[in-house]
Amino acid sequence: YYITASYREKRLETRLSVLQKAVDEFNKAKNEFAAKATEEEMRLLRFQRKLDDEKGAGLLGLSLQETMEVLLSLGLHKHTEQLYRDFRLPDKRYWWLKLKSMAEKHEWEELEKF
Amino acid sequence: MAAHLSYGKVNLNILREAARKDLREFLDKCAGSKAIVWDEYLTGPFGLIAQYSLLKEHEVEKMFTLKSGRLPAADVKNIIFFVRPRLELMDIIAENVSSEDKTRSPQDFHILFVPRRSMLCEQRLKEQNVLGSFINIDEYILDLIPYDGDLLSMEYESAFRECYLENDQTSLYHTAKGLMTLQALYGTIPQIYGKGECARHVANMMLRMKREFAGSQNQILPVFDTLLLLDRNVDLLTPLATQLTYEGLIDEIYGINNGYVKLPPEKFAQKKQGETSKDLPTEPKKLQLNSAEELYAEIRDKNFNAVGAALSKKAKIISAAFEERHNAKTVGEIKQFVSQLPHMQAARSSLANHTSVAELIKDITTSEAFFDNLTVEQEFMTGVDTDKVNTYIEDCIAQKDPLIKIVRLVCMQSVCNNGLKQKVLDYYKREILQTYGYEHILTLNNLEKGGLLKPQTSSRNNYPTIRKTLKLWMEDANEQNPNDISYVYSGYAPLSIRLTQVLARPGWRSIEEVLKMLPGPHFEERQQLPAGLHKKRQQGENRTTLVFFLGGVTYAEIAALRFLSQMEDSGMEYIIATTKLINGTTWIKTIMDRPESQMS
Repeated sequence: YYITASYREKRLETRLSVLQKAVDEFNKAKNEFAAKATEEEMRLLRFQRKLDDEKGAGLLGLSLQETMEVLLSLGLHKHTEQLYRDFRLPDKRYWWLKLKSMAEKHEWEELEKF
Repeated sequence: MAAHLSYGKVNLNILREAARKDLREFLDKCAGSKAIVWDEYLTGPFGLIAQYSLLKEHEVEKMFTLKSGRLPAADVKNIIFFVRPRLELMDIIAENVSSEDKTRSPQDFHILFVPRRSMLCEQRLKEQNVLGSFINIDEYILDLIPYDGDLLSMEYESAFRECYLENDQTSLYHTAKGLMTLQALYGTIPQIYGKGECARHVANMMLRMKREFAGSQNQILPVFDTLLLLDRNVDLLTPLATQLTYEGLIDEIYGINNGYVKLPPEKFAQKKQGETSKDLPTEPKKLQLNSAEELYAEIRDKNFNAVGAALSKKAKIISAAFEERHNAKTVGEIKQFVSQLPHMQAARSSLANHTSVAELIKDITTSEAFFDNLTVEQEFMTGVDTDKVNTYIEDCIAQKDPLIKIVRLVCMQSVCNNGLKQKVLDYYKREILQTYGYEHILTLNNLEKGGLLKPQTSSRNNYPTIRKTLKLWMEDANEQNPNDISYVYSGYAPLSIRLTQVLARPGWRSIEEVLKMLPGPHFEERQQLPAGLHKKRQQGENRTTLVFFLGGVTYAEIAALRFLSQMEDSGMEYIIATTKLINGTTWIKTIMDRPESQMS
């Protein structure tokens, strides 16, 4: 249905509008979880677009986790922090992510501060 | 050539021969030299029926894979397409045929639909203006394929998805047809038992088909006493668990396809004396696995922890046999020794192969990750903390372990808890979407539709009751010398097999309560036998049951049934049939949906 269709859309605007239709359908079907998840995906897509335009990070289409990994590897800690709060990530997963990124970049001093 | 099929109690070679005869008849219908264009999916299953040599005898000179565009050049009189009845394949055929006509000397085209011709497909060919180019349009009915001495498979991968997600009963129709073919060859099966929606459908179709053929009474003495039809969704738990038999682990780790497994080649480097070949083989090692190989038949169904001992015992026997040659004094003795050599050499190379395979598997089963995963699985199966978010799963998601592994665990928790609390379920779902991507919402949806993942509706969790009544968890599973089927999962006795076991003795009436908790109806039907065909059973003769798993069966379940057949006091022999051989991973894969993103 709409979700599969949205992946066929090449342009972001049309994809977003198809997803909006999906949200409407989910609401009609009283599928709260799916409606919320879809809204989040739309928010994420917009965020990715904005950063791609500003920094050319190549984020569009990645999952939230992957997005954050890329942001951290680019040193964009503030943006990562923002996503962490916006999407209410569980702390545990967030710290795993941060640890991994620091270890990869050998920022041992930063690690010490934990 | 197909000796492994005739070892069992029921000679499945009869079925294979019947299938080969049909194939030969069709091939002879197209006189002259031929080329076959294969739907790639079919080559594996066909390999179980006929080798290339059979095709060659019937003037098949070339074989191609079905691809769009033009056909490769072939100087043959006939071009035969072997295809499944799928519309997208018709388009490719149409393209092949229409680009062919003008350029070369006229050839005859034929289509062989497997397993059935379809009006829709023929209509499609007509629309593309190529239907008239075909001399023969025929069907090759191949429903149940003999896979091993006691095992039949339809190799119908999408059966579970079609039945439980898409409400498409095509595969059930093929199943019923396949069972009719079987009855035509092996006699009417007097008793039919079943559990589940799909089982009910298949039984109904079989009974209807029988009424339609009421005129032609089957005069064959029945080989099977009982047919048991089981829906996969009656037991969703078993395929989610990691199989711990030798064959099961080979399938979990490397995947067995149509009786073959591909293994990393490093361990199989030729160790010939005097030859220092530095270049390791890069092609994966392909190994055929069936009961024709004596050693494999012996160890395939053992718990992996008992395989090492069996292999070293075998090694001693073989080297002792080779030592025999020193004792051979007379010409006669030497002659006898030499005559046994080929057999001994085969045994030795088979031993070397399986020692290598076992080493490969051992590297994995002794790893920490494997152990942790298994521990969590066993906690779920014994009912420990199934109502909370599991920290191990959380960690695995955070570290981005393969999604299928996560899905298997979460579904397992859901099944063992009779659904998850809404909060827990939503938490997992959010974690999965945020980590692996939003597109997996489709997969999650499918899992919920299939009942693998569900919110808890009633406050009562009936899994513990089922577990206790059917003794699904055995604390002291003996892996070396098993006395119960629970050895195949080192403690967990597959629910599906327990149902089979209880049916044989003392009967399902004793577990009415539990049967009601499991999805779908349970039923019993009888088919009248013509007078004079009632078997006069001799004292001590075993009864034979055909167990049909609708939606797939795992190697560990098969091992458990073989174990039951071998138990001396069971009085029952089992033959296994299924839509497809599965493991947790291949099964979940058929349920997943993955839209390709086209956005640039």
